Amino acid sequence: MVKMAKRPQQRTTMALIEGQDWNALLQRVGSHQDKDAFSALFAHFAPLLKGFLMKGSNLEPEQAEELVQETMIKVWRKAPSYSPAQAAASTWMYTIARNTRIDWLRKHAKISQQTDELVAEELFDENEESSPFTSLIQTRNSKNIKDHLGELPQEQLQVLTLMYFQGKSGQEVADELSIPLGTVKSRVRLALQKLKLKLSPNGEGTEAYAQ
Amino acid sequence: MIRHHPNTDLLTDYTVGSLSLAPTISVTTHLKFCDQCRDSVHSLKQLGGALLSDAEPETVSGDLLSQTLAKLDVESVTQSSAVDALADAQSTKCDDELKGIPNYLNKFLPRNGLSWRKLSSSVTVAPISVGETQYELALHKICAGGKTPVHDHHGVEYTVVLKGSFSDEDGMYHEGDFVVREPGDVHRPFATQHEDCICLSVLEAPIKLKGLGRVLNPFMKFQPS
Ligand SMILES: [Zn+2]
Repeated sequence: MVKMAKRPQQRTTMALIEGQDWNALLQRVGSHQDKDAFSALFAHFAPLLKGFLMKGSNLEPEQAEELVQETMIKVWRKAPSYSPAQAAASTWMYTIARNTRIDWLRKHAKISQQTDELVAEELFDENEESSPFTSLIQTRNSKNIKDHLGELPQEQLQVLTLMYFQGKSGQEVADELSIPLGTVKSRVRLALQKLKLKLSPNGEGTEAYAQ
Repeated sequence: MIRHHPNTDLLTDYTVGSLSLAPTISVTTHLKFCDQCRDSVHSLKQLGGALLSDAEPETVSGDLLSQTLAKLDVESVTQSSAVDALADAQSTKCDDELKGIPNYLNKFLPRNGLSWRKLSSSVTVAPISVGETQYELALHKICAGGKTPVHDHHGVEYTVVLKGSFSDEDGMYHEGDFVVREPGDVHRPFATQHEDCICLSVLEAPIKLKGLGRVLNPFMKFQPS
């Protein structure tokens, strides 16, 4: 009986790998501790993560690989809590990579004992129920991002890249590019508009938006 | 209903992880109250996922996968339970008056309880030390109907209303509202008549080390050695 059950499952993993269905593979890692599924995710995401972490940063390749490994180990450990209804695999991976980098940077910056207890995962505390609209918004966002990311002007993409890839604040990006903070902010906003990202109409935000 | 939210700039800095510790805690606290902003942050993370998927791949060492697989066998699933236990232990010790504030904050409260000290006849403050120097994190309590002294700001201040409500010259703020005061703003908040108001506040430290400040407070920064 056990053997019977195992065969179709292996075939499915293969099919998922061929279909590059990352969400389903991630789920399979969580539900079956499936190392084939994990290896397929690794083969796809590890080089992307390394490229993502190294782009424009002063990390050594070995440091970047250390981070890639830590990220993928967390992926394995956290996969049982992954739900495709709450996030796409890429969004989920991005979040884990971001948290891993934050913790790694803090560890290496040797901050006081006290903050060592706090890890990024706790600060962001993202194991949250999503709102009723979440999956609707997600579906629309992912289509819009796919349709429009390629259309962003270089200067907008550059700012987003510095912020997302290197975890830089608006102010740090302004310093690095020697442009005013206001210019950085407006490039981000124009990019988000162009991508038609669903962002809440913020009370104070809309005022600032109009400026 | 929540009317006051962090703006898009702040949510973006938050999402990419460039805010330091105390401001991050204040935004996460707001997200506990606010579905809208939680969805916004999710949207911004989707963009992060898309940028990751579009990143130029860098070849990884041939044995990185096998090394990683070998570590998976050693790793066990027990890692996160210690953290949960710690949070649980702390949550039982929190002051009665803090009932109803997001559980999330419990893990940042001192284990032996908060020490409230009087700022004025109607305002008490309990600092929360998270080992950060650039921002001060604290709980403020304004007694029902109490007025705070007029004050201005040398640095930016983020306030999240946890319980009750308060008003100032610009408006009224309820549970979950996220209020930003910029340097130079002068205001005089007062609590509503019938209820104490408890807020989480993050105040940029008054002493500014120009040029050096960011280097001295590398909570989420790193200069590779
Ligand atoms: Zn909000």
